[in-house]
Amino acid sequence: MARMKFYCDAERCIECNACITACKNENEVPWGVNRRRVVTIKDGEPGERSLSVACMHCSDAPCAAVCPVDCFYTTDDGIVLHDKDICIGCGYCFYACPFGAPQFPSAAAFGSRGKMDKCTFCAGGPEETHSSEEHTKYGSNRIAEGKLPLCAEMCSTKALLAGDADVLSDIYRKRVINRGASVLNWGVQYKKAGIDS
Amino acid sequence: MASETNTKSARMRKTVYFSILSLLIVLALPLIPYAFDALAVDVKQNKEDKLVALQSPAINLWNDVRQRNGKIEGTSQVKSVDSGILINKTGEDWRRFRLEILVPYGAYLMAGILGAIILFYLVRGKTLISGGRSGERIPRFTLNQRTAHWFTAGVFWLLAITGLILLYGKFVLIPLLGAEGFSITAAACKEMHNLFGPLFLLAVLAMLILLVKDNFFKLVDLKWFAKGGGMFGGHVSAGRFNAGEKTWFWMVMIFGIALGISGLILEFAILGQGREVMALSHMFHGISALILISVSFGHIYLGTVGVEGTLESMTTGSVDAAWAKEHHDLWYKEMTEDSETIVSADKNTQSGIAQSGIASPDTGG
Amino acid sequence: MKLIKKSDQVIIPDADSSAQKSNEAPGRFGGWSMNRREFLQNSSLVAGGAALTTMFSPAMIRKADASVSAGSSTTKQVKSVCTHCAVGCGVIAEVQNGVWTGQEPAFDNPISKGAHCAKGAAVREHGHGERRLKYPMKLVDGKWKKVSWDQAINEVGDKLLEIRKQSGPDSVYLLGSAKHSNEQAYLFRKMAAMWGTNNVDHQARICHSTTVAGVANTWGYGAMTNSMNDIHNSKAIMLVGGNPAEAHPVSLLHIFKAKEENNAPLIVIDPRFTRTATHASQFMRIRPGTDVPVIWGMLYHIFKNGWEDKDFIRQRVYGMDEIKKEVAKWTPEEVERVSGVPEKEIYTAAKTMAEHRPGTFIWCMGGTQHTIGNNNTRAYCVFQLALGNMGVAGGGTNIFRGHDNVQGATDLGVLANTLPGYYGLSKGAWKHWAGVWDLDIDWIKGRFDQGSYEKSKDKDVAVMNTKGIPVSRWIDGVLEDKANIAQKDNVRAMIFWGHAPNSQTRGLEMKKAMEKLDMLVVVDPYPTVSAVMHDRKDGVYLLPASTQFETYGSATASNRSLQWRDKVIEPLFESLPDHTIMYKLAKKLGFADQLTKHIEVNNDEPLVEDITREFNRGMWTIGYTGQSPERLKLQQQNWATFDFTTLKAEGGPCDGEYYGLPWPCWGNPEMDHPGTPNLYDTSKKVAEGGLTFRARFGVERDGVNLLAENSYSKGSEIKDGYPEFSDKLLKKLGWWDDLTDKEKQAAEGKNWKTDLSGGIQRVAIKHGCSPFGNAKARAVVWTFPDPVPIHREPLYTSRRDLVEKYPTYEDRKSFWRLPTRYESIQAKDYSKDYPIILTSGRLVEYEGGGDESRSNPWLAELQQHMFVEMHPRDANNISIKDGEDVWVEGAEGARIKVKAQVTRRVDPGVAFLPFHFGGHLEGKDLRSKYPEGSDPYILGEAANTAMSYGYDSVTQMQESKCSLCRITKA
Repeated sequence: MARMKFYCDAERCIECNACITACKNENEVPWGVNRRRVVTIKDGEPGERSLSVACMHCSDAPCAAVCPVDCFYTTDDGIVLHDKDICIGCGYCFYACPFGAPQFPSAAAFGSRGKMDKCTFCAGGPEETHSSEEHTKYGSNRIAEGKLPLCAEMCSTKALLAGDADVLSDIYRKRVINRGASVLNWGVQYKKAGIDS
Repeated sequence: MASETNTKSARMRKTVYFSILSLLIVLALPLIPYAFDALAVDVKQNKEDKLVALQSPAINLWNDVRQRNGKIEGTSQVKSVDSGILINKTGEDWRRFRLEILVPYGAYLMAGILGAIILFYLVRGKTLISGGRSGERIPRFTLNQRTAHWFTAGVFWLLAITGLILLYGKFVLIPLLGAEGFSITAAACKEMHNLFGPLFLLAVLAMLILLVKDNFFKLVDLKWFAKGGGMFGGHVSAGRFNAGEKTWFWMVMIFGIALGISGLILEFAILGQGREVMALSHMFHGISALILISVSFGHIYLGTVGVEGTLESMTTGSVDAAWAKEHHDLWYKEMTEDSETIVSADKNTQSGIAQSGIASPDTGG
Repeated sequence: MKLIKKSDQVIIPDADSSAQKSNEAPGRFGGWSMNRREFLQNSSLVAGGAALTTMFSPAMIRKADASVSAGSSTTKQVKSVCTHCAVGCGVIAEVQNGVWTGQEPAFDNPISKGAHCAKGAAVREHGHGERRLKYPMKLVDGKWKKVSWDQAINEVGDKLLEIRKQSGPDSVYLLGSAKHSNEQAYLFRKMAAMWGTNNVDHQARICHSTTVAGVANTWGYGAMTNSMNDIHNSKAIMLVGGNPAEAHPVSLLHIFKAKEENNAPLIVIDPRFTRTATHASQFMRIRPGTDVPVIWGMLYHIFKNGWEDKDFIRQRVYGMDEIKKEVAKWTPEEVERVSGVPEKEIYTAAKTMAEHRPGTFIWCMGGTQHTIGNNNTRAYCVFQLALGNMGVAGGGTNIFRGHDNVQGATDLGVLANTLPGYYGLSKGAWKHWAGVWDLDIDWIKGRFDQGSYEKSKDKDVAVMNTKGIPVSRWIDGVLEDKANIAQKDNVRAMIFWGHAPNSQTRGLEMKKAMEKLDMLVVVDPYPTVSAVMHDRKDGVYLLPASTQFETYGSATASNRSLQWRDKVIEPLFESLPDHTIMYKLAKKLGFADQLTKHIEVNNDEPLVEDITREFNRGMWTIGYTGQSPERLKLQQQNWATFDFTTLKAEGGPCDGEYYGLPWPCWGNPEMDHPGTPNLYDTSKKVAEGGLTFRARFGVERDGVNLLAENSYSKGSEIKDGYPEFSDKLLKKLGWWDDLTDKEKQAAEGKNWKTDLSGGIQRVAIKHGCSPFGNAKARAVVWTFPDPVPIHREPLYTSRRDLVEKYPTYEDRKSFWRLPTRYESIQAKDYSKDYPIILTSGRLVEYEGGGDESRSNPWLAELQQHMFVEMHPRDANNISIKDGEDVWVEGAEGARIKVKAQVTRRVDPGVAFLPFHFGGHLEGKDLRSKYPEGSDPYILGEAANTAMSYGYDSVTQMQESKCSLCRITKA
């Protein structure tokens, strides 16, 4: 059985944010809700690297574990989805998620947040596939068309990979072999006697 | 024969010599290049072009992402709560706390204390006023104090029930109501819990203001504890509130205010609290709540079924003098020194009895 | 005891089983769904070789085959090209019932392979167009009033004719766009010629004009020599003054391939530690404006160690000895003194490039936007010539152009100094185009101002043959005393056609200029900052243009490939495609018949394919002649047949062609030339895409042969250098009779540029020769102010100690019709009051002036505030923390209020501004001045309000990469 995963290759990610806008485009995600984001470590300094992160569709999903109304479910492919009709907007999934994937449309008083929204791996939701309810609530269902999430398909440098975990690891392994030690070495510098420290 | 032996031994010696020699040669062969190197003329070293590999400054990326060396926050063009944090460690800690500690141990605590109380009641039964009622009444709680108490109690129970539904409902109620049905219940509970939550804080603060005066611990309370509140060791002295009640009061204050503040943090996310703050608040909130609920069983037991004559203090506002003398002798002394506080026996006895429904030894029945 | 969660059990939702029901379902995908498992078994690509799989997951790639995916009859897949940058990423738009409902990755597109950046992944928003300019508007008494197209065209036309009568045609400025399609760009230039002015220009002026001038004057053509795909062959990549991670993200798809598979070192030279620099193997930080010292500093080591390619230089380069003399002055100490770069780094970079050949050299605005921009670009070329990296796969000068069709607009001549095809403005050029347009040359002459305001060798030069005012100086055309301008009167009407105002410097003066105009016209899908930055109460017209997705045509990507765009949706609201608006205007102004003499017009819309065919008939200089609409459309239908690295189609209907028929695509379409993927590559036959250096500068100079020596393209019958082909040369070589009779008729008295039959080109190529000759590239451009590129300090410099040794130019009385100042500005010491070097650049979320992209909510959400990047040291000196408001005051006093972004990206003493914002002016929010519903979501200060004077000595490029400022707490 294929296990769907994301992997973001930090050596390739250039923080172009195509994954963010592709997701908003495909799923009509409103302003203020961002299913995917790119986080940059050491911004502006040598060693700056970026990673695109959204729901990682964990095998043992913490969000599902802490949800008081048990609105999550995992599909055959390992995609973690949830039912917005059951969600009560308590925010616990957001506290538990290591990646901060759950998003809420509002932040009003008395803990009112609206229904949780998150990356669906472009697999829609519990509504009928390709129905307008599914599209309005969850966005598009590309998996049912045999396609992969648009964020990874449109990544400018193929940094973000999505698909079967085995295939992904294989691709990444080949990349690592190609790169060899160059990931560890930031190039070389020539030292000339007498002019260097 | 001798020559034969000689030849034999000579051959043997030769063989040995040759073997050792070959062995030495074989072992020495690899050393030849070193010899060359050592003997070679020192080539003028090209000092100019010494290649130095620079370590990539990004090799610590994953350590930083996992925040192994302290808290490291990144940046993101998406500006939302915690958007700069790639992997939030506290999430997993919180999940484990909630599911492996709070849920099971909370259940044990509540069940345990409830069970102990039931057991206690079955064994010891109701604690009656020794010597029976005197008929005289002593005022104990003003109208304000009683209102505040019942208000607090009411809100507390609303919050407790809704909170328990939110904590345990998934395991207990979904099988009964189904996912959609439970979702409606839970949504309602969440709204109610969040609406009444701030009220609880206000209520607790009201209680604090109204009752704190008599709740400070004194030496006599230590003695009360030592004698187990009178369960072993006989008579114990107490002021208006005994040490047990004082303990309960301070528990309500401390845990109640903790609940209030953590609750406000949890439900007013508009101030942009991060997940770490939320998880911590939730932890305090949950622990405080379960402790308070569990101990409240004891308070309720003692205030109603457990001890005769206690409930009326909070319903009518006054208590029987005998009860006061038995349980709060120092307070009784205080109150009776001032004779105006003693209300006419007949009038109040009748009404007192009528209200409490307790049979008077005089009237019988 | 752990309570068991319900969700531990995998629940299979209804969605899985409903695949069959989906055909009846209404909504976005009337669709069809494929077995989820099938796509995982897409093994065809796995078999294709490790190289490909390391780049993409086979699981990720599905052949975007239109016939397969569009299972439902209601979903159409339309192929287009992104409208943002010049990488030219393919776009597949899904359209249902005329509504643009989705985007699919264009996996087959040879340039992008489905990749996009934030902007490309968001182009579908053009189909929503909520903040678009919806109908023609007129400013009446400070308020925007909706008017009809007819009224707008009439009023604008009347005013233009009035101005023409009073002041002459040169008082109207026609500012065109890099976002026109090729056909629209060509029509625009033609329209300007019909109107009778050379005051026509577009964004290339302020972007790569110095590149085109510098590079073309070095070896013949001023365009990117190889392609982004060709970078796969590079063994080293040097990147100066460019940040492709934000400006051309998909180019990194190719750069990373070289970096990872060839272990190619990536050297980034920039004042900022950019997002590109973090992926480099060497980062060299330089003081803004010191490119020449750094390049000469590297060449110093290259010459000193004998690493240059001596054979290549001997055979194909002129003037390297003079370069060596200049380079010898740039000792490591001097380089460090001027640029701040220590010897160790320069030496490392030089050695790296020398040891890893072929290496490619990429540059962008960081090198071009200077008063010595043409020196910088020529220095880069000389560097590559010295290493012999030209004309080889993996080498070249891979110049990344900016907007989606700036290459096309430049080629099609939307410029003040030339007609389409870089023919220039000479009598011969006009004669040629008059022939192509089938118009009487005297009629065209008569359209121009009959006066003369310039002299050449003591002879009067007609206005028709003089360069117009460039866009970077249009405001001086308005504000300068008209006695000092080399035309009859000031510019009185300004037409901003697809061009933003906030990408040019001196914003406050531009405001004044806009207020002085008689009329300001904006033709754009969005109102742009032109609608709000001035305080006019009337005389402003906003005409809604359609975007490139609402029309069709060809566009030229940075690598000279022409891609055909199909129309995705009908024009939204009341917008019209550019060429329709041009026709309507031409009708009003009275030259519509001439404009479209051989172009079919339907409902006021000129037929796009006819326009293509017309410029195919005329653009012989750069080989825009072979790219017929039919050939381009066929290529678009067969994206998948082109190889990813070579861009050559192997098999399929386009067998043998290179993707986009990269120019020069010689001869007429029937000749079937495949295009030239890598310029100046002598390893191939010219007929198969090979090329030599152009013989453009004469045959000999000072006794030195300027033609190539012993170097020629494969299969060349002339095994040495040769001049450009003319009828005379053909006759001399005995090849004249290879022409057909018809060709002979046309070619008589003509050369390869002016022979409309294409015969001369055909015959030259038949004999294996390049039509434009086979010469040496020249490292010394004797017609330029600095024949050997030298360093000169920026006009506004913080290094007053260097001004004496490296002064700027002398002031010029008339340069491109205007007085232009240099030394009189540098003479003043601004560095005490304005100690921080100010530079500018791009962000990935926005493009150009920014109104279009800031109106896209998906993009706008990611960059909500204008900011200035400053070093922590500078921030601490003024007690500023990250995120606080500051005033950035430019050297001439203009101030902008922005947020401080405290970062180590920039050095202490350097500040960086992104230039995409507009809509605030010196702290004032101008949102209310936009027409209702057309204000972009995000507004901000324009960087160029604060940017100051400074223009390139050859092209009038603005110096927006090194000015001075001071920053104070707000």
